[in-house]
Amino acid sequence: MEFKKHVQVRKEKFGMVIFETLKEKVFVTNPTGAEIVERLKDKKTPDTIIAELAEQYGADAGAIAEDVNCFINNLVRQEVLAK
Amino acid sequence: MEPTKNFNTTPGMAVYGTPSFETAPALALAGENFDDFKAPLFLAWQINSVCNLGCLHCCEEAGHRTPGEMTREQIFNFLRQVRELGIPYVAISGGEPLLHPDFLEVAGFIREAGISLKVETNGEFIDNRLVERFAALDFRSVQISLDGATSATHEVLRLKGDWKKSHTAVKNLVKKGVTTEIVFVPTSFNIHEVGPAIDMAYNLGCYGFYTGKIMRIGRAALNWDKLNPTEEQYKAFFRILDEKTKQYENKMKVYYYPYDVIEELKYRLQKPSASLLVVPNGNTKLIGPLPFICGNVKEQPLAEVWERYKKSWREPKVIKFTKRVIKDPNLLAESNKWQNVFETR
Repeated sequence: MEFKKHVQVRKEKFGMVIFETLKEKVFVTNPTGAEIVERLKDKKTPDTIIAELAEQYGADAGAIAEDVNCFINNLVRQEVLAK
Repeated sequence: MEPTKNFNTTPGMAVYGTPSFETAPALALAGENFDDFKAPLFLAWQINSVCNLGCLHCCEEAGHRTPGEMTREQIFNFLRQVRELGIPYVAISGGEPLLHPDFLEVAGFIREAGISLKVETNGEFIDNRLVERFAALDFRSVQISLDGATSATHEVLRLKGDWKKSHTAVKNLVKKGVTTEIVFVPTSFNIHEVGPAIDMAYNLGCYGFYTGKIMRIGRAALNWDKLNPTEEQYKAFFRILDEKTKQYENKMKVYYYPYDVIEELKYRLQKPSASLLVVPNGNTKLIGPLPFICGNVKEQPLAEVWERYKKSWREPKVIKFTKRVIKDPNLLAESNKWQNVFETR
């Protein structure tokens, strides 16, 4: 799973900005979204991301999985992330 | 933890080449406004003002060298800051950027930094050697100005221009796999050829075709009465664009901005873009159609210029002048008579 060729990401105070420079579309996330994007940049799998976030937040992995998968699917649907 | 709650898409770009974004009104978020960003998202850089052509509609009045253009050392000092600030996307234009002696080295630096790069050129200097280099540098795109589907139409606007050279450049770039776009500026001389020009772009294998109303700035402002299409011409133009957009849907991006520069200024007064426009001598303009500069990248760190840019849009003199321009578009002719926002006269 990786970001598409012309996609640039940058950390901001509010979270992350994702810029699809070929289509010239800008997306923003909140800090939690930024945590996922950073891990995707590091080429971590959804399962790893879920496990890491569950540990970091001390939260239920099932609930986190739902959010993470939904977020990732959204990135795929917006054609910034390739599965 | 609700990452999706605040994840919003923003279509919207390309108002005169600068990306912009909007979020759904119901979701007011950080990241919605330009001043939420720690650095620009986009840098439009006119690297030089020298040009081999004398286009009637040039928005920069390009041709001769601007006094005080950045030296090689200043350019690379500037580029190191672009990299450090994490600016994701740069567009280099001119003048004619391929006439800049350091162009290839500059492009190489930007790409090595992982920054997306678009080059806006008339295409006349793109020979086989450059096609190879461009392909290797893997630009986001090369955008070539072609103002007609025929040499006669193109060359009546682009004085000293050679349609065949630009056309050949597009063909060769596409053949080599370089993402190539055509930009077409409608005037009373060429507006009738927009349909054939879009077909030509598609047949050449272009990624996109960009157009929109001509901007009343630079040399275009001086030639406005000759160049500005009539309302009827614009109606037919937009009708053709609608048809072609549908015809080439999912095959080639046909992008056009339906508003004119005044609409753009009204919008930008409320929502400035997260971008900087740097001209050849390092001056940084708020936006092409206004004369205001907020700093100079030769004299101030780029991070400081960005802060000055954000502050400038709230300066009463900027707001007042912009409102005057909106009422009286003749003032657009002042766009290249630079005024520093922070200097009192």
